[in-house]
Amino acid sequence: MALPLPPGLTPPEVAFLCEMELVTVIPRQRLEGLALLGGPIAALNPPHRTSLPLWLALLLKRQRRANILPPPWLSPHSLTAILDHETENEEGFSPPPRLPPQPSNNTLPISPPFLPSSTAEAAPDALPYHWLELGEMLLGAASDDFEDPDNVRKLLRGLREVRMAKLRKGVDVLDAGGGVQMNGVGGMEVSEGRAFIGGVVDGLRKIAASREQQRRDKEREERENGYPGTGDYEDDEMDMQ
Amino acid sequence: MGSYYDVDAILTDAQKVPCTMELTVPGLGYLEGNMSGDIKQGSKVELPLWLGEMLALSQSLNTSSLVTLDPPSALAPRVLNALKADPRTVDLRALAPHFYNLGARILELFEEEEMIEILSDSFKSRAGVIADQAHNPRGALGEGADFMRGLDENERQLFRAAHDSAKAVRTWMTDVKK
Repeated sequence: MALPLPPGLTPPEVAFLCEMELVTVIPRQRLEGLALLGGPIAALNPPHRTSLPLWLALLLKRQRRANILPPPWLSPHSLTAILDHETENEEGFSPPPRLPPQPSNNTLPISPPFLPSSTAEAAPDALPYHWLELGEMLLGAASDDFEDPDNVRKLLRGLREVRMAKLRKGVDVLDAGGGVQMNGVGGMEVSEGRAFIGGVVDGLRKIAASREQQRRDKEREERENGYPGTGDYEDDEMDMQ
Repeated sequence: MGSYYDVDAILTDAQKVPCTMELTVPGLGYLEGNMSGDIKQGSKVELPLWLGEMLALSQSLNTSSLVTLDPPSALAPRVLNALKADPRTVDLRALAPHFYNLGARILELFEEEEMIEILSDSFKSRAGVIADQAHNPRGALGEGADFMRGLDENERQLFRAAHDSAKAVRTWMTDVKK
């Protein structure tokens, strides 16, 4: 109760994490390389594209020193295809992008913020983890770099609605044995759905607590006896189940 | 179950449950509004859950317990049948402000497999409506108002959580656009 924040990450925190993602920029000015703690940043040479962290790209964009090249999945064509896939498949979400091939022995594996999931070379048919935040931030700061920003915005909104509805519907099948397929759910969606889904799971657990206790008692009894189902008393207990 | 200072747990324990006296107790007549008399064996009184539970389970002094607990009216078969028919139309708050917590406490005392099923199913289907209402602020004031008034305390917290997280995302999105 000491911290007034709910468990999990708030939307601004998710967006902050998203700012480490790499995006492709086309610099308009020369800039020397920077040696930062988060990794060195290559020198910018005007006509050549470079991959930069989103925060730096947004900074340069605001200062009109660079243009951002939106990732291929953020085009109306790809988004329409993904949206169709989402509406057709009632179960599950559209799959996340494939991981790069396993690195050979003498190179280090690349982990999420440095994966090229949002650069110009990203896969056009899959939404990365930070799709919603990245899309919104790019549309906010660099809408003039999109071919059709209004259409992209509309499609993003539609995708978000469809996927949130799926998350909500997933609650109905929650049960002791059931589960929800949450592969491919993005960071912002987790942050939005966490409180509700967690609350439902908590409530269900509370209601079924007595049954859970009963089951645990029986299991312990069986363990202590060494084998299940001894004597008449336990047979009666089995009937109750 | 829960923390010692959990207000919801305390309020749950303060809800009245019907009990039947198993013994005649002198001078306790005021429990049924009879100021001077004794309380008779077999008379029914409404006691808070914590007291009824203690009296029903305490068997240290003699062999028979002082009272027997009956399931409260909020969990009567009539209510459970209504929940089975359509969970969305039942006004849980009028039955008991902490309906699910009360149900969980009662289930600790009685073994009722069917009640667990009914309560879980109604919680789930009502949670779906709660989520829809939380994302649709107009609905909470319009046609959904009756449903919202019938939420029990757990469901209200659920609604608030869903509403707050949706609002946080919306706020962030408008901030980004600036």
